[in-house]
Amino acid sequence: MKLTIKSTLAALVASTILAMPVSAELSGDLKIFLDTSNPAPRATMEEMIGRFQEKHPNMNIETTVIDREAYKTQIRNFLTANSPDIATWYAANRMTPYVKAGLFEDISDLWSDTVIGEELASTKGAMTIDGKQWGVPYTYYQWGIYYRKDIYEDLGIKEPANFDEMLSNCQKVVDAGMKCYTIGTKWLWTASGWFDYLNMRTHGFDFHMELASGKVAWTDARVRETFANWRKLVDMGAFVDDHQNKDWQQSLPLLVNGDAAAILKGNFAVAPLREAGLDDSKLDFHQFPEITAGVALAEDAPTDTFHIPANAANKDNARAFLLHMASAEEQTIINNGANLGQLPVNSKASIDDDKFLQEGFAMLSSNSPGGVAQFFDRDYPAEMAQGAMEGMQEFMVFPDNLDDILDRLEDMRADVYK
Amino acid sequence: MFPKPIEKSTRSAQLAYQALLPVTLLLWLAPLIAVALFAIRPAVDFTTGNYWGVPSELQFFENFGQVLNSAMPRYIMNSFFITIPTVFGAVGLSAMAGFALGIYKFKSNLFLFFMFIAGNFVPFQILMIPVRDLTLDLGLYDTKTGLILFHIAFSTGFCTLFMRNFIKALPFELIEAARVEGVREWQIFFYIVLPLMKPALAALSVLIFTFIWNDYFWAIVLTQGENAQPVTAGITSFNAQFRAMYHLMSAGSIVAALPPVAMFFLMQKHFIAGLTLGAVK
Repeated sequence: MKLTIKSTLAALVASTILAMPVSAELSGDLKIFLDTSNPAPRATMEEMIGRFQEKHPNMNIETTVIDREAYKTQIRNFLTANSPDIATWYAANRMTPYVKAGLFEDISDLWSDTVIGEELASTKGAMTIDGKQWGVPYTYYQWGIYYRKDIYEDLGIKEPANFDEMLSNCQKVVDAGMKCYTIGTKWLWTASGWFDYLNMRTHGFDFHMELASGKVAWTDARVRETFANWRKLVDMGAFVDDHQNKDWQQSLPLLVNGDAAAILKGNFAVAPLREAGLDDSKLDFHQFPEITAGVALAEDAPTDTFHIPANAANKDNARAFLLHMASAEEQTIINNGANLGQLPVNSKASIDDDKFLQEGFAMLSSNSPGGVAQFFDRDYPAEMAQGAMEGMQEFMVFPDNLDDILDRLEDMRADVYK
Repeated sequence: MFPKPIEKSTRSAQLAYQALLPVTLLLWLAPLIAVALFAIRPAVDFTTGNYWGVPSELQFFENFGQVLNSAMPRYIMNSFFITIPTVFGAVGLSAMAGFALGIYKFKSNLFLFFMFIAGNFVPFQILMIPVRDLTLDLGLYDTKTGLILFHIAFSTGFCTLFMRNFIKALPFELIEAARVEGVREWQIFFYIVLPLMKPALAALSVLIFTFIWNDYFWAIVLTQGENAQPVTAGITSFNAQFRAMYHLMSAGSIVAALPPVAMFFLMQKHFIAGLTLGAVK
């Protein structure tokens, strides 16, 4: 069985590469599953697929859009049961369960033989498991601190260059009767954003990834140092109260109404904040400052991807689609401000003329020497991430429970990485 | 047993009652009021924290227009295509099963009846994986037919309990008289029992309609996309990648709730009858 699949695949790959100059017209079916359920991203993707359809008018393309959250629970189901030819997903460890289960197609050929390998090289690492590539990214976005410029100016605060300045800034904000950072940890991932940054700034990208791969104990002294830095912020009252009862959207009003001065968040927070009246004179962005001097700065930049399921019926059409989607031209269009409003992965694509996208791009391309992480719940195995994020939320509310929490996570590590 | 009528209590108790009633009512209805209010708000109100205040802008037409322009009408049609056949299937089958269990005396009658009741005690969550695998093997996964068949199978247990008790309460002399006249068994069912069962049929149909319409669990287990999913599952398509579109979800929920609510008001009498039928003899 294995042999036949492998040889069929090999034959397919070979025939694809040999028989298919990029411009050749293709026919047959292509079934696409998308999780871009929002009106704007949905329209963006449908237009991008429409342009692919124009190139191949005889292809019968069927697109299904599934709500993003439902998609996460359905993916295992449809990859085994009712496989599409193209499916959206996420980079790095989030792919691992499907790669290990043999549900994603190995598309190393696209990475080695086409422009993808060259123009999308920056994300090759995040798409690689066991030395092979399993997907092609279409967008990513930066994380960082979005702050109220007007409040900072009123208080005479500048963007902090290191952790001490961050703390002294925060003290001024607290003294003025506000909170430094708004956060809603009801959906746990927001807390792990803080952990990502505190850990990568305290000990660096490599340590963060060693912890992700289970090589370092959660009870390690270095992990405790990270939490000790976090505790400085918690103890001084940097975070808004009652955050465990708010989701991230419910944490935004505090920033809009001036109860909090900043938020650590991905670039997707900009759109709702702008809608709520924070224009560029009131909202600004800065990189998370250095904590341990000499540790190379590393960033979180979650990347969204397309994959070919291993059970797909029309893999050569799917490969052609990935090539179309990865092109500089398409990535420029789908990521521009009117569409996704994020950063294209293709290095030849151009970035939208938006202040935050430009700043994010500059930061990621020139000021992130340590590396680029995907985000806690994408880099860490799902089970470990879930437990750890629960622990982080608990820590932010009851910092004294830290020893318990770390012991618990250490037990969990023994199970997860068996 | 029955509460004392309020007119018979003291004046102070009456006053307290009159004061507390509206407050309780408001509290009780708060979630519904929130949904109604959210449905006419613009998205920006959720970012500025204006959850309960006056909407910054009335967006009744925009929100509902967007809902109707999305895939919602499709999902609502799916709901009808799933709910109506299920009601007919479940009620029809259970009327026949109820007739058999209520009229004929055979050895395993009571045992069979208990089996139907026992089915109601199985928590449906434990059926999730076997049923999903079964629909997959039958090629019914992600189809309306699969969902309908499962709903019929699962609701028939409860319906049969209901029908059997109703038929059992009919005067048996009617059937004996018909048999003496030489009426065939299937004619007894169609011409004597079925007309007498009208109230039960109506009540049960209304009840099953609302049950099936409101089903969310099986909708997400057995179906995937627009082609088969009912509206309860479709509402979540207003969940964005990063943001939940509370205003659209609220507007969508209102639209989705209209058919069962209309059903309830139109058939109110039967609905109440359905809840108490068989409870008292």
